[in-house]
Amino acid sequence: MRNIIGIDIGGTFTDFVLYFEESRKIEFWKELTTPEDPIAGILAGLKRVQTLTSADKIRLGTTIATNALLTRRGARVGYIATKGFRDIPFIQRGDRRSHYDLSWIKAKPFAERRYCYEVNERLSAKGEVIVALDDDEVRRVAQAIRNDSIEAVAICFLFSYVNPKHERRAREILREEIPEIPVSISYEVLAKWKEYERASTTIADAFLKPVIIHHFDKVQERLAEAGVASSIGIIKSNGGEATMASAADTPVQLTLSGPTGAVVATRALARLTGLKNLVTFDMGGTSTDCSTVVDGKEHITTAFEIEWGIPIQIPMIDIHTIGAGGGSIACIDKGGILRVGPLSAGSIPGPASYGRGGTGATVTDANLVAGRLNPNYFLGGRMPLDLDAAIAAVGEIAKLLKMPTDQTALAIIQIANNNMLGALRAVLLQRGLDPRDFTLVAAGGAGPVHTCDLMRLASIPFSLVPNSPGQFSAFGFIVTDARVDKHRTVPQSSKSFDNERATLVVEELVSEAVLELKNQGYRENIEVYRSIEARYLGQNHELEVPFAAAEFTSETTADFWRRFHEDHKARFGFNIPGETIETVTLKVVAIAVLRKPDVKVVPEQVEEPHPFEMRKVLFEGGWLDVPIYRREGFGASCKLTGPAVVEEEASATVLAPGQNLTVDRFGNLLISD
Amino acid sequence: MDPVSVNILESTMVSICREMGIVLMKTAYSTIFSEANDFTCGLANMDGDLIAVADYCPSQIGGLPLLVKSCLREIPVSEIEPGDIILHNDPYRGGLHTPEHTFFKPIFVQHELMGFAVAIGHVQEVGGMVPGGFCGEATEIFHEGIRVPPVKIKKRGKDNVEVWKLLLANVRTPRTNFGDLSALIAAVDLGEFRTVQTIEKYGKASFAETVKDLLDYSERRMRAELRAIPDGIYRFKDDIESDGVDEGRTYVIEVEAHKLGDEIIIDYYGSSAQAKGPINATLGVATSAAYNAVLHMTDPSIPRNSGCFRPIRVLAPPGTIVNVDYPGPEVGGNTETHPRIVGTILGAMADAVPNRTMAAEGGTHSNFVFGGVDADTGDYFICYDIAGVGWGGRSFADGNDGVDSINGNCRPTPIEVFETRFPWRVEFLAFDIDSGGPGKFRGGVGYTKQMVCLNDEVTCSQMTDRHRFAPWGLNGGKPGGLGATLILKSGSETWQNVREAFGKKSTSRYSNIIMKKCDRIRLVSPGGGGFGDPKDRDRSLVLNDVVQGYVSPAAAEREYGFKDK
Repeated sequence: MRNIIGIDIGGTFTDFVLYFEESRKIEFWKELTTPEDPIAGILAGLKRVQTLTSADKIRLGTTIATNALLTRRGARVGYIATKGFRDIPFIQRGDRRSHYDLSWIKAKPFAERRYCYEVNERLSAKGEVIVALDDDEVRRVAQAIRNDSIEAVAICFLFSYVNPKHERRAREILREEIPEIPVSISYEVLAKWKEYERASTTIADAFLKPVIIHHFDKVQERLAEAGVASSIGIIKSNGGEATMASAADTPVQLTLSGPTGAVVATRALARLTGLKNLVTFDMGGTSTDCSTVVDGKEHITTAFEIEWGIPIQIPMIDIHTIGAGGGSIACIDKGGILRVGPLSAGSIPGPASYGRGGTGATVTDANLVAGRLNPNYFLGGRMPLDLDAAIAAVGEIAKLLKMPTDQTALAIIQIANNNMLGALRAVLLQRGLDPRDFTLVAAGGAGPVHTCDLMRLASIPFSLVPNSPGQFSAFGFIVTDARVDKHRTVPQSSKSFDNERATLVVEELVSEAVLELKNQGYRENIEVYRSIEARYLGQNHELEVPFAAAEFTSETTADFWRRFHEDHKARFGFNIPGETIETVTLKVVAIAVLRKPDVKVVPEQVEEPHPFEMRKVLFEGGWLDVPIYRREGFGASCKLTGPAVVEEEASATVLAPGQNLTVDRFGNLLISD
Repeated sequence: MDPVSVNILESTMVSICREMGIVLMKTAYSTIFSEANDFTCGLANMDGDLIAVADYCPSQIGGLPLLVKSCLREIPVSEIEPGDIILHNDPYRGGLHTPEHTFFKPIFVQHELMGFAVAIGHVQEVGGMVPGGFCGEATEIFHEGIRVPPVKIKKRGKDNVEVWKLLLANVRTPRTNFGDLSALIAAVDLGEFRTVQTIEKYGKASFAETVKDLLDYSERRMRAELRAIPDGIYRFKDDIESDGVDEGRTYVIEVEAHKLGDEIIIDYYGSSAQAKGPINATLGVATSAAYNAVLHMTDPSIPRNSGCFRPIRVLAPPGTIVNVDYPGPEVGGNTETHPRIVGTILGAMADAVPNRTMAAEGGTHSNFVFGGVDADTGDYFICYDIAGVGWGGRSFADGNDGVDSINGNCRPTPIEVFETRFPWRVEFLAFDIDSGGPGKFRGGVGYTKQMVCLNDEVTCSQMTDRHRFAPWGLNGGKPGGLGATLILKSGSETWQNVREAFGKKSTSRYSNIIMKKCDRIRLVSPGGGGFGDPKDRDRSLVLNDVVQGYVSPAAAEREYGFKDK
């Protein structure tokens, strides 16, 4: 027997999901997050589990790396560059965060300029050695690094993505000279071109190393003390699992760990339900995450920035986050326009209705005034909300707008929806995806409340509310796989494409990725996917196109060129037949498919669902008497027509007039217009 | 006004503009588009007023209304049909400079014209005297490349093949230009498509009404901002060192800003008569620069559209460097004179809005352009290379180091992309110590790029600035470091400027020098001016500058009276 536990440490709550393999039962629960000592929160939650054997698996979504980067509490990093180029991390990209803002202060890299060192070495764009690495100079830099009390080293040489020889040799010398100091080299962090992005990522990796190593030691130590024998998997930014040792090796891979769970869970839903295209809409108290799963695959990006101008260029699930959620506060701006956010009430003081001292009218307050949330059934009734306080707060805005309070509540909901719509546009239309092909997966406490309006606004025909939408991310952890992404930039053109070279590089990437999985103990069910980032010769941004074959031959490459022209047309509305195509980066993903929970089918609904009460709820057409249901009793094939509200412990699904709801055989709520 | 609809429509339209920009950036060929984002996408109403724009290149944002309006004077609305796409680049028809190509497509909903989707982009090759468009020695517009009056490149959805042939026959890199123009077309196609969807959703009448409310809203916000600035007449002037042609002469930009109530008049009276060389600004540039400066002094959250420009008036006397008369050359006006105008306006307003101005920034994009035949492939290559400068010190913070000048928001091409594409090897790219003007808040530092030529021949031109007149300081701050362009010919041991090396009149604006294999060039960008008396600088900040290598110990002692114990 083998049980899987998913643990997602959020800002307010730590979510737990436990799957019992034998009974196929899934349990969900929450503990308060203990930010000063996150391990204490984990241990508190694990007390609920009777026994944990060494066969059990714990999967942990961690915020340690994200927080270390955001609060800039990490190692003193020494950065070693090609002679003449130590300023690359400071010059950055040369643009600024926003136009017209003279108060802007350029972001600082995670290394100080005084601790940036240069060594004599140089490669050409093709990877030929122009200047050989000066070993003695590296040794001298090693001594300087020791004298400067550097805690971790990042090495990024120009064109190392073509030829890693110098970076590897430099690391070897540092290991001889200063073996106690960890070293990150850019080739291993990500062998992709553009020196600033690679340097920034490598520096971030070094910055995190001592922090993560220390934290993981502590986790293991305290779990062992508490008698927890299970093996621990860490969730990486690509949504896949890695062992602690492997994660500590390149900790920058943990930059965005927890939020990937919702996307992985969405992918699992796609497999389970057979839906091809899903878009996740995970709306919490302070932020909302959107991401897509197309043809059963999540979208991976290497364009993440931890703050404006500081790229972390690792393969990461592409999640668009906006700082708006149930806690966003409504206000009237200087020109008399109603705005929602960017100020948020957070969890303290929270919305006015939380009764913790907040007075601003938040989206949650507006939902209460509009009858969409039940003040007596928030968190299953464990946290009653103050409806009068919500009415008073929304009333203040209403006075300024000279509008009735209820219409003001509706306006706040509409503006909030429009902000969310911006996030959906960013992941759909702005990437060339047609919303009409998608199903909107509503998760987080607030997602199901807004999905009825949002699907209409965004022209998304269907919406799906999963089981326990409030713990969707943690659920994702128990259904994920072990995953390694490898990229390498090798520019070639279709005019003179070297099949042998491309095959060689891809084979190398495959064996590196597979080896990395096997070294972590993932030996079975390994699947490999290949793709190429390419463009018309002369363009500067690439389009990723899958490459299904294992080898480059005249046939398989000809297929690829054809596919590229087709995809360019589909994505950008035009193509240039006959134009030379340049392949830039070769990409390999290796996935060790792990055992998945076997999601139970719910029994068929036998009789008509009964509302447990009627309540007045405000829609665009006005106040309606609406039946309120509890989700617990729903069986498969259960059907409802809106207006209706379906309440459950951590959320409520609102159904607008005319919308239909069906329960599928796994208990998901499927909404259509 | 419906406060909910205005908010929703505004964000929808800005999102459409952003979407257009993404298509443009991802599909264009010139690195100046795709890496440097030297383009802008917007929507205009049927009168040519800007109604929404995404934040790409600021110099084009302010220029957009005049551009569309000028075209509509020439091609009346009655002659515009669904599926047409109009192309235009003429600086003497509302344009900004010859490389800037404007595409616009009418938005028809049920046979009624509702507005235009517009994309403006810098196409790096436009024919003319030099590869790459920046002819530092041009003396008339005809030297600067092909002039395109408003013409239909597509008619009712079909390519106008004659126009395509004419355009591509006049440039050195037809393949690249074809790619750039195709990307611009894809952008306006998308903008039109999405806007039609939006209008159909709201209804034509409601859309028109809400757009009107949106422009009024922006105007109201702008007027409120201007009202908060103390009334007065504010003056400032700045000198420009050369025009590349008439080396004996220097030029002045003079600004008198009349701030009264909720309006502001920017009067350029007193600015020099137009130059023989290409540093002249068109009326479009002078207007855009005034808008740009005022937007910097006011709340950045005001939606950018023609509404917020209503309380701003511009007086630009014809025949001066801020409003060039036909057929004067003008390519540097948009890149070099524009930021200098903005700086002069910010300098004038320094006392009135001390928290929203800064000392002079470097004020140039370097604009190093080159072309040649690649020895390996036989293909003609062209590159427009830009560099960052130091920002001026501010009343509350140091100037930023190495950032694109204020009228652009462009990103220099990464070295690994640059060397893969072009036959140069970059030998170093490094901040220049002591180039930030000393002050209580010092100016940002500039940087130097040195490279060696790997091709048999490369033809180079440049349109840069600040080789003689340093960026000024404010409130007792000292000037920033000068820029420079230096050449080391193969076999020689002396670095020379282009006047010494090639007999050019100006060191900062020159055309068609031939660099040979193993010749080296060093491009130094200027730093920013300092703000406030250097003696008042926090000692810990001076120490940190020394420790981090931004200020030398000698300069710390000389400028700040600081000695490290």
